[in-house]
Amino acid sequence: MSTQTTSLPPAELSGQPVPRRGRIGPRWFPVLMIIPSFVLIVVVTGFPLLYSVYVSLTPYNLLRPDTLAIDLANPFGNYITLVNDPVFRDALLNTIIFLAVTVNLEYVLALGLSQLLARVTVGQSILRTLLMIPMMFAPILVGFQFRWFFNAQAGLVNNILLSIGLIQEPIAWLVDEPLGMISIMTATIWMNLPVTTIILLAGTLSLPHEVFEAADVDGASGWQKFVRITFPMLAPFTFIALTIRSLDVARAFDIVRIMTDGGPAHRTELIWTYVTRLAIESNQFGLGSAMALITVFISLAFTVYFFRQLVKARIVQ
Amino acid sequence: MRKLLIVFSVIMLAAFSFGGLVTAQDDAPQYAGLDADLSGVTIRMATIGGGQYEAMYDSISVFEEATGATVEIVALLDGFAIDQKLKTDFAVGAVDYDVSWNHTSFMAQYVGFVEPLNQYFTDEELAVFSPAIIEAATIDGNLQLIPRHADVAALHYRTDLYEDADIQAAYMEATGEALVVPTSLAQVDRQARFFVENGHSTFGYGMAGTEEALTGRFYELLFSSGGALFDENFEPTFNNEIGVEVATLLRNWYVDGIIAPDTTALLWDGDAQNFCNGDVAVKLEWYGWYSYFQDPESCPAVAGNFSLTRGFNGFDNAGARPTGWAGAHAFSIPVAAQNKDAAAELIRFLTSERVAYEEALLGFLPVRDDVWARLIDEASASDVPLDQVRLEVARTQISDDFRTPPLIAEWIEFSNIFYPIMQGIMLGDLEPQAGLDQAAAATRERLAAAGYYD
Repeated sequence: MSTQTTSLPPAELSGQPVPRRGRIGPRWFPVLMIIPSFVLIVVVTGFPLLYSVYVSLTPYNLLRPDTLAIDLANPFGNYITLVNDPVFRDALLNTIIFLAVTVNLEYVLALGLSQLLARVTVGQSILRTLLMIPMMFAPILVGFQFRWFFNAQAGLVNNILLSIGLIQEPIAWLVDEPLGMISIMTATIWMNLPVTTIILLAGTLSLPHEVFEAADVDGASGWQKFVRITFPMLAPFTFIALTIRSLDVARAFDIVRIMTDGGPAHRTELIWTYVTRLAIESNQFGLGSAMALITVFISLAFTVYFFRQLVKARIVQ
Repeated sequence: MRKLLIVFSVIMLAAFSFGGLVTAQDDAPQYAGLDADLSGVTIRMATIGGGQYEAMYDSISVFEEATGATVEIVALLDGFAIDQKLKTDFAVGAVDYDVSWNHTSFMAQYVGFVEPLNQYFTDEELAVFSPAIIEAATIDGNLQLIPRHADVAALHYRTDLYEDADIQAAYMEATGEALVVPTSLAQVDRQARFFVENGHSTFGYGMAGTEEALTGRFYELLFSSGGALFDENFEPTFNNEIGVEVATLLRNWYVDGIIAPDTTALLWDGDAQNFCNGDVAVKLEWYGWYSYFQDPESCPAVAGNFSLTRGFNGFDNAGARPTGWAGAHAFSIPVAAQNKDAAAELIRFLTSERVAYEEALLGFLPVRDDVWARLIDEASASDVPLDQVRLEVARTQISDDFRTPPLIAEWIEFSNIFYPIMQGIMLGDLEPQAGLDQAAAATRERLAAAGYYD
């Protein structure tokens, strides 16, 4: 009696991948596919991150290569130094204030601008293109441009204010508190407003017309439609915009570096200008790495929060 | 007879022309470092770039043609970027070049990573360079670099103010002394205040007030007043009474509007622009801005209306001396270089009289005596008397007043601790004594961590 007549159909006929001797079976095939990406992520992201963690536990100074070793008696020395460093604490606080004000103000302006643009029926593409112009400048160029705008002696802002009689003496915009921070925020918002606006505009244009038509039938006012329909339905786009911009603003560097470099007297010091001063200029790579890691974890927390809000908003919709 | 006369004239003319040609050739500045046969050798160089710095490198083709060597410039970065590259390469052992940029303000960081150059250059060769620079660049008997060009701050002042008879009379009436170019910090203070209080100038004095520029200017006023940043054991001493006197002066200048309200945001360019605009009466300024200030299109307010002289003495204390914070760009040979002898030949060429002279024509201050003599001689024919005065004053300053920052590897690190605190003092956030004490404590902590007091 042939066993062939009672056995299952051959694998070739069942359409299943054929497990052959020396070949990888279907169970391991996905793993095999993931391995290149996994290795790439480990090499590109994981290794530098782990190395940064290692460096942050050492008193590494670039000029003294022998300091690249963990001090076992005090492995968290850099973190303790930072906790006790008033400049670091101020820089952290400045960064949080800068982040909160810039992102929120930028969002409010972008929301208004996107609603106006959504109602434009003629020349919307031209307006959108014009809106994108600030994004086309390199941040370093924007920094130079606004540093000149806010220059106390020859700056555009003081010249305008003096000529219309609003001020009698030039204002040291980049020096006085809180004008230095406001100047940097202005430059940052000017440059990045288009990003948020475009995201919100795309969201607004994608909203279903039926809902608004139903609201019109019910006699809802424009403001009611905005508050009850547009704003809630834009929530996913809002959280995407806020996530992107928060991460971006949290690592603000170029514009600040050019306009004030964190000064004067640390008045506009943000985390990354301080990291640069310590790690790059002052050669304290260990301390700089510790500070950078703290910042990365704070940014990570922000991202997780916004993504959770995004998921919630999508579930509600 | 007539033919004979013509032939004689032609012969005489040819002889004079040839003689003149020979004399001209002998008198011309000469290259050096072209004698070695370096066929097949590739010399790699990491150096400073940008703007006028790169003009010198055009002459490298002469070196390549004469020696048979090939020169590759592997890095051409601005000062802070090239410093960062060198430090990183030295730290991780990634040096793949034979000639590296160096600077008197940065050289202490590279000690141990660059070759002592005494063994590559004879005393006779070194004798043509400014002794003050060679001395400043020698650490523990090892010459760290061969200087390329230098810069030092001279006292710039507006002649339209200082030579105005009405202003002179008013100053005499107000202070009881003649309005002369200041030779002391107390005089600078009195004159700067007079110019502002009487509306002759928007600001009496001008200075950059951030980063190393502020640290350096404080250091300059400190040492010219007989003070010092550190003692011989590297203990901070800038918070003594002289330091407080200088810090208080800077604070008062800021509070009283003697210097610009955004001084603490000004770096070199912004500071120079205020003088260019005619807003500043007197200030210490680098020679490198000279041609800019003299250009009527760039600076119509001061072109032809200013002069310069040697720096003033600081406050009247023991050891007071003229200001003269100075620096020199230079070349070195990394210890890890592959072709050290060939690298020395290239440096010999790049710092030769001819190359140095050609670079000096661009406005840089030379560091060789023979180039100084030639430039001053040529400037004597200029229609602008200040052209010659400038060079003579600069030569004096380079030879007599040249003062580098303290030779510690942590100079920039110290500066990054110091200048924000000094800004805080100027802006009124900190009292002078308290601020300097805070800076001294933080500096001591850093130097202790670096092993200075072990």
